[in-house]
Amino acid sequence: MKNFFALTLRNFALTLCWLSLAFSAHSQETYTLKFATLAPQGSTWMNIISDWSKQVEKESQGRLRFKLYPGGVSGDEPDVLRKIRFGQLHGAAFTGHGIGHIYSPARIFEIPYLFRDVQEIDTVRAQFMPEIEAGFRKNDYELLGWMEVGFLRFFSKNPIRTFDDLKKSRIWLWQGDPVGIALFNASGISPVPLPLADVYTSLSTGLIDTTIAPPLGAIAFQWFTKTPYMSDIQLSNGIGGLLVSRSFFTKLPDDLQALLLKTGKQTSARLITETRRDNEKSLTVLRQNGIKSTLAWKDVDEKELYALRDRAAAELIQSGYLPGEMVERIRRAIIAARSKK
Amino acid sequence: MTRIKNLIRLQQVLAAVCCTIALGGCSMSQLVARSSLGLIDAGVRSMNQETDLELARAAIPANLKLTESLITELPGDRSLRIAAAQGFYGYAFGFIEDDAPERASLLYKRGLDHALAGLAAAGVQINLLDASVEEVSRSVAALDKQTVPELFWTASNWAKWIDLNRNDPARIADLAKTERLMQRVLELDPDYYFGSPHLFFGVYYGSRPPMLGGDFAKSALHFDQAAARSHKHWLIVEVLRAQFLLRQMDDRAAFHEHLSQVLATEDSPPEMALVNAIARAKAQRLLSQEEDLF
Repeated sequence: MKNFFALTLRNFALTLCWLSLAFSAHSQETYTLKFATLAPQGSTWMNIISDWSKQVEKESQGRLRFKLYPGGVSGDEPDVLRKIRFGQLHGAAFTGHGIGHIYSPARIFEIPYLFRDVQEIDTVRAQFMPEIEAGFRKNDYELLGWMEVGFLRFFSKNPIRTFDDLKKSRIWLWQGDPVGIALFNASGISPVPLPLADVYTSLSTGLIDTTIAPPLGAIAFQWFTKTPYMSDIQLSNGIGGLLVSRSFFTKLPDDLQALLLKTGKQTSARLITETRRDNEKSLTVLRQNGIKSTLAWKDVDEKELYALRDRAAAELIQSGYLPGEMVERIRRAIIAARSKK
Repeated sequence: MTRIKNLIRLQQVLAAVCCTIALGGCSMSQLVARSSLGLIDAGVRSMNQETDLELARAAIPANLKLTESLITELPGDRSLRIAAAQGFYGYAFGFIEDDAPERASLLYKRGLDHALAGLAAAGVQINLLDASVEEVSRSVAALDKQTVPELFWTASNWAKWIDLNRNDPARIADLAKTERLMQRVLELDPDYYFGSPHLFFGVYYGSRPPMLGGDFAKSALHFDQAAARSHKHWLIVEVLRAQFLLRQMDDRAAFHEHLSQVLATEDSPPEMALVNAIARAKAQRLLSQEEDLF
């Protein structure tokens, strides 16, 4: 009997030993998150993402580290999506373009003329985030943080003072972008569809005379050197997201999942603040460079603009790109937000 | 008594000499500065032939300060401005940028200010920093081959200053101006500084993805031109090709091969010795980062 106890005790001790070894082996397992972005090395976005990677590596004590692929070295967003599918990459900072391929309802915030300022965005978006996160999850992605590209404006060679001027312009459409197509269909404008890479040259050759970008984008792409006018009216707010594939995310132990979510949210807040600041700075720089403002809200019939917004949304609902019920809810949320101002 | 008289006379003579020096101090020091110009020129040549990186790193700051002190005497001297612009660029690029980019940014800006002062001395009337892209184009169109050094070092320092401040919209907005300046150099003297105008465009088109204005084919052509014009002796061409174009193309094998080739090349024409030694050090550093970059 005594022997039995001794044996059992020894087995128990051995098991405990084995378990603790296994546990420590598990906790020491390291993970590398391969993460791509179009943001160039040294840009505001990349600096913040780089800080994020350092924070995660430090707080996980080296168990989770990032391998960053900045400046589009992994290709454009469709290339990155393909690489994530094949497991060559695990995550990326996507803009609306890439997000549309993952979970198109998230582009509801990009409906033309939906928001008028950032306060409206902050109030309304907070109400929709839980379902947006769930939507990404259902589509095999975890949303770690939200981003903004900024409010898009028209940048043109000739002054655009009225909607009729806009209709006469040769406006660039990001080739294959459903939200852009819906906007132009609703406006009765025939755009010139081109890949992003061809915009600068096409502004030089005259194939297009008007492009669409946030102020920082107009500077970064150097388009502003060809377009002396920009619209005061903001077309829509370009979105972005820090996303990681669920197949990578679910392999992580719970504490590392929690760490990514916590730090992703902090990074998102910094990205949004800094992007807004950069776009403000960019507006000043554009004005210093002699870019003149045209087409203010006072120059257009608001009702006409909202009718245009509704026609664009209707087309996106009809094609199944956005859920109608969600569009209706966001419209009501914005009315409520405006009434509280 | 005679001794006292002599002493008084000596004092008078000394006072007169001191007075002359004090009164004519300005022209005297300018005279001295002017007589040192050849020395600065020889200093730049000698530094370019230095093969010991540590010696160069330690010696360049003193040379730069000497050049700047001569500039305070002769602010409109173009050769001094060019020496300072080239010196600040070389020191920041070769020894500071990789470890302390913020400090390097300030050094490039100093180099830029010297180069711009050189352009002003050469007759450029407008302030290029505040001018529009079109004004810059018009202004440089009137310049001839004599101003190639000022144009080249203005564009080079300016582009690096922008490169190290990519988070500042005001800096990014100026990129097109540097392109116009270097385009003019390319028209006037594509062989300047061993074909470096082509090197500039190799990096200009190779450091960005096509959707952000990059053009890999154009970049490769410019790197090839730069290599051909230096008969492949200018090793920095292959280092920058690997660091920017091949990295951007995600071509790890070529990246490794080009940098390894740089390390394996020992011969160097004397006038390229320092920059080639810097190129080898940078190649070594990039190879050590290969695992992280790809």
